[in-house]
Amino acid sequence: MNIDALIAYVTSTPLTWIIITISAYKIGVLIYEKNGKHALLQPIVIAYIIMLPILIVAQIPYKQYFESVSILHFFLGPATVALALPLYKNLKLIQAYFFPILITLFAGGVFTILSALGILWLFDASKITMLSMTTKSVTAPITLITAQDIGAIPSLAMGFVVITGLLGALFGTFVFKLLNIKHDAAKGFALGLISHAVGTARAFEISENAAAFAALAMGLVGVFIAVLLPIVIGLL
Amino acid sequence: MLHGILTLLLFQFIGECISKFFELKIPGAIIGMVLLLLFLVIKKGSFHALDSSVFWLLRYLPLFIIPAAAGIITQVETISNELFAILASLIFGTFLALAFSAKLMDSLISRKEKR
Repeated sequence: MNIDALIAYVTSTPLTWIIITISAYKIGVLIYEKNGKHALLQPIVIAYIIMLPILIVAQIPYKQYFESVSILHFFLGPATVALALPLYKNLKLIQAYFFPILITLFAGGVFTILSALGILWLFDASKITMLSMTTKSVTAPITLITAQDIGAIPSLAMGFVVITGLLGALFGTFVFKLLNIKHDAAKGFALGLISHAVGTARAFEISENAAAFAALAMGLVGVFIAVLLPIVIGLL
Repeated sequence: MLHGILTLLLFQFIGECISKFFELKIPGAIIGMVLLLLFLVIKKGSFHALDSSVFWLLRYLPLFIIPAAAGIITQVETISNELFAILASLIFGTFLALAFSAKLMDSLISRKEKR
C-alpha cells in the first residue's frame, strides 16, 4: 500500500473535481425536483452553495479548479448554438404580436441595461462592475461568452445573472398584480426578457402560453444584447 | 445523436471563423446560433438527431456554467467593496425593468386587439 501515491493521484487528477462538480449539480437537481421544481430553488443556486465552501476549504487556486473541469466548460459553446432550436420552435408566436414583441424587445432590452447602470452610476460604482452588470438579463451561456469579449468579469457577470433571474421570479406575481397586467403573453415575455431561464421556469407556473413567450423573449434578448453590447462598447 | 452534436459543433466553428475573419466583435457562438436558426427556417424543420442533442445539452446547461460561475470566489473583494451599489442595482433595476416591459407589452397588445 502506498498512501502517498494515492494522495498524489487524488489531488492531481481532473476526475476529483469533475466528480465533485457533477455531484453538487446532481444534488441541486434532486432538491429542485423534490420541491416541485420551485423557480427559486434553481439547481445552479444549490450547486453554488455546495461548491463554493468546498473550493474555499480545499484552498485550490481557482485557475487549477477551472482547468480540471474545463471539459464541462467546453459544452457552453455548442449549448449556445443549441439555443437556436427552442427559439425556432417559438418563432411562430412572433406572427401573432409582431410589433408588441419587437418594440418590447428593443425598449425592454435597453431599459434593463440602462436602469441597472444608472443605479450603479449613482453609487459611483467601478467600471468593471458596470461592465459586468450589462449582461444581467441575458441567459447564462450567452453571458459567459459575451462577458469575455466586452472586458467584463465572467464570474461576476454570472453572479448578477443568477440573482436577476431569482429576483424576477420573486417579483413577478406582485408586479403583474400591481400594474394589472392582463395578457399572459405580456407576463411571460417580460419574465423571459428580464429574468431569462429562471423567469421562463416561473412563467411555466402561470401558463403554457406564458412559458412559450418567455422562452421566445429569452432567446431574442440574448441575441439582441450579445450583438448590441460589443458594438456599443467598441464605439465608446 | 452524433449527427446532431456534429451539426452544433460545425455551426459554432463556422460562427467563430466568420467572427475572426471579418474581425466582428460579436461572439462566434452567437453567429453560429443565428446561422443555425436561419438554416432551420430555410429547411422548415429540425431533425431527430439535432432534437435529441439539443435536449441533452440544454438539460444539463447549468452544469456547464458552474466552472466559470465558481470564479466568483476570486471576486470577493469587488463585491464587498461595492455591495450596496450592486444590491440596489440588482433589486431596483430588475423590479423597474420587469414592470416596464410587462406594462409596455400589455398595453401594446391591448391596443392591437381593440383595433
